[in-house]
Amino acid sequence: MELTDYTTTPPDLNAVFAALADPTRRAILSRLTIGEASVNDLAAPFAISQPAVSKHIKVLERAGLVTRDIDRQRRPARLDATNMEAALNWLADFRAFWSKSFDQLDDFLDDLQTKDSDHG
Amino acid sequence: MANAAEYSIDHTFNARRDLVWRAWTDPVLLARWYGPGVETTIHRFDLKVGGAWHNEMKWGDKSDYSTMTFQEVLEPEKLVWHHCSTDSDWKVVSNPMMPDWPRTLLTTVTFGAAGNQTNVRLTQLPVDASDAEIACFTNMMAGMSKGWGSGFVIIGDILQELTA
Repeated sequence: MELTDYTTTPPDLNAVFAALADPTRRAILSRLTIGEASVNDLAAPFAISQPAVSKHIKVLERAGLVTRDIDRQRRPARLDATNMEAALNWLADFRAFWSKSFDQLDDFLDDLQTKDSDHG
Repeated sequence: MANAAEYSIDHTFNARRDLVWRAWTDPVLLARWYGPGVETTIHRFDLKVGGAWHNEMKWGDKSDYSTMTFQEVLEPEKLVWHHCSTDSDWKVVSNPMMPDWPRTLLTTVTFGAAGNQTNVRLTQLPVDASDAEIACFTNMMAGMSKGWGSGFVIIGDILQELTA
């Protein structure tokens, strides 16, 4: 059912889904949609420590959902949507497989019935 | 727990049951609609318990191969098969994109007659799956509409912003 066309190495979707399964990490991703942020910035809205936020960011980095600047002092995190899109495409493909196929079958049955009645 | 890992879809077709059954069990007809927007070739179709359906879905220059092995064939009301991803030699392989995707999915299709309409219900459930496979499938299927829902809404927003 993997109909999505991936020309590069397939991302490890297990890591992507594991990373997305945590509400804090999803909130971090949500925050990053408005722009890059340092660990300090990201820790502020959460009732957790900076080291805990750092751990979450590392999980997101390993899943390829977030990249960080190595050179700059504050090492801000920013969103990398490539793997997220792969994960979403995968899910959409699986869930769409039968509903799209059924739509095709609807049309096809129309044709078959028309032919049936044509031939008597 | 078993039910949490079940995917199901219901659909009512505007055709008599015998015709819907034909569309599912005549490989020439089946290839016409099976697979969303792809070119489907059925290389083998042996409609009996233990018989195999070798399916290739082509899109662009890529192909997706799978083998279905029939477990139950009860004309015209029920079809049951094991669905496995395979290589081009029809050997069962794990999914390259998701190593923990279940190797075998028990697929059950029931056809209920309702006058000139037919109610079809299709369910898929992992077979002899490891805990990791069940967790993977459960997260994907059941979890999405529950705990996952809010997360996926956020992701959708994120992607929209990024592609805007």
